[in-house]
Amino acid sequence: MADWSEQHVRRLFWRAGFGATAEEAGVWAQRGRRATLDHVVDGPVEGRKLRGPAPRVDRRGLDPVNEWGDDVLWWLDQMLRTNYPLVERMTLFWHDHFATSDQDAPLMLRQNRMLRGHALGSFPALLRDVTHDPAMQLFLSLADSSKGAPNENYARELMELFTLGSGYGERDIRETARALTGFRSNWKDGRFGGIAFDREQHDGGVKRIFGRAGRFGVDDVIALVCDHPRHAPFLVAKLWSYFIAEPPSRETVRGLAATYRRSGLSIKPVVRAILEHPMLYRRLDAPDMVKWPVVYVAGAMRASRTFVTAGYPTWLLASMGQQLFHPPSVAGWDWGAAWLSSNSMKQRFTFGNHLIENGPAKVEKGSVKVTIGARGHYALAHAAVGSPQVSTHTREVLTHLAAGWFHDIPASWRAKAGWRAESLQRTLRHLLLTCPESQLC
Amino acid sequence: MHARTKGRLLAGAAVVAALAPAGGVASAARRAPSTAVGVGAREFRLTAYRVSVPAGIVRFNLANYGQDVHDLVVATAGGRRLARSVEVRPGGRTTLRLRLRPGSYRLVCDLADHAALGMHATIRVR
Ligand SMILES: [Cu+2]
Repeated sequence: MADWSEQHVRRLFWRAGFGATAEEAGVWAQRGRRATLDHVVDGPVEGRKLRGPAPRVDRRGLDPVNEWGDDVLWWLDQMLRTNYPLVERMTLFWHDHFATSDQDAPLMLRQNRMLRGHALGSFPALLRDVTHDPAMQLFLSLADSSKGAPNENYARELMELFTLGSGYGERDIRETARALTGFRSNWKDGRFGGIAFDREQHDGGVKRIFGRAGRFGVDDVIALVCDHPRHAPFLVAKLWSYFIAEPPSRETVRGLAATYRRSGLSIKPVVRAILEHPMLYRRLDAPDMVKWPVVYVAGAMRASRTFVTAGYPTWLLASMGQQLFHPPSVAGWDWGAAWLSSNSMKQRFTFGNHLIENGPAKVEKGSVKVTIGARGHYALAHAAVGSPQVSTHTREVLTHLAAGWFHDIPASWRAKAGWRAESLQRTLRHLLLTCPESQLC
Repeated sequence: MHARTKGRLLAGAAVVAALAPAGGVASAARRAPSTAVGVGAREFRLTAYRVSVPAGIVRFNLANYGQDVHDLVVATAGGRRLARSVEVRPGGRTTLRLRLRPGSYRLVCDLADHAALGMHATIRVR
């Protein structure tokens, strides 16, 4: 196997984005490993852009604030049209990591923009903005936590889920909750008027956190958790598991943690180190990561050059177990095999049906001749859904299916049996979109 | 759970189920020009995501983000009730659709003492 092949490109583009087109796989295999990683991690030289037609559903543009489900379509559209998919993939990672749910649509969209802005930047800066974010503050009752009644929800999740995972005690949580008091949400006639810091409601006393004492406030708390020895290993291991299924070795975690610390807790260098890691390219012919529902959907749409023109992705994603902007809890979604429940798989098949009815993968009447042969039918279907990587076995099975498709029709009639060729195309396209290797990357 | 009419009102449905028919309902509603206003309900606040809308058909898309059942009543500034949604359970949604003339309108949840506790908002129709 070559040191850098189309298969390497495809693996990287799926893990760090929403897949590669056949053209991208060819181009980046030629340009080599280093140039490809620069492109994927730093983004295209021309800067981050959206390409392709803006979304239109029911002859109108999207209204993500006021129309149900348009929030999901809006983000999906970003994923479909971006030329810098890693930013969307990382925004998705942070949406799961700092999972916030059940908040007003304008606040959720505002949080999403904030996460995108920090997607590959400084972790402490991200954490600072998350801590001040209205949707997060309202979700975990940090807003209106006062010195008289400090609420511990945010302090607890800050340590358990956001930064450390272990290496702290109940007392650290209590004292941190005191240090984070003083935020006050403002509302007027139901309308959100922002969150202000009210010194009167802040506990200005001495707190003891991780064995250090001081009159700590919010900025001190951010610094304390980021300086904690558990932070770097915790975060790099979670990032690793977003990109690579097999757990990292101790040395790998140590090395990544060192990279992360050396960069001053910057996210991009550690993500690059993971994306460069040989483990990411193991067994290129046997993918082992389950595509998240939205990655599956966005990837299939990107490959077949399908844009947002209908609302079906919103409710199908919800039934697949991933309603964007509504993670199931503060712990985010369950990853991996949990995405492949029998109901979720059924919805992925349904999605395949919608995709081949809406957009370029649709089989047009009169577009297919019976006489192109089994390989020709397979090749046509494969190209129509964006030339995905499939196993030899799947290719053989589908070609065999194509070969037997017209057996019941007398040879002399076949030239006129275009409708049968169309049903074969629909079947092959659907199976290519939903076959086992399409669910993995 | 509360009784509701036809498939248009999605109050009791789980989020997943609620989303599925919404496309069909909304696309029918969208044929006549109308303005969507997202409304979030929780204890004890009612938030409308638009300050003002053009006169005509207004669709209030109510989402219940709270732990209790809530509803939405649209009334004139003088307090005359124009329309009331079904009751929406936590996590549920419903749409209240009506034609509004220029003026100022009050939105409230009329369950128990929710309005007095803060579940009210205003919207201007221009
Ligand atoms: Cu209420």
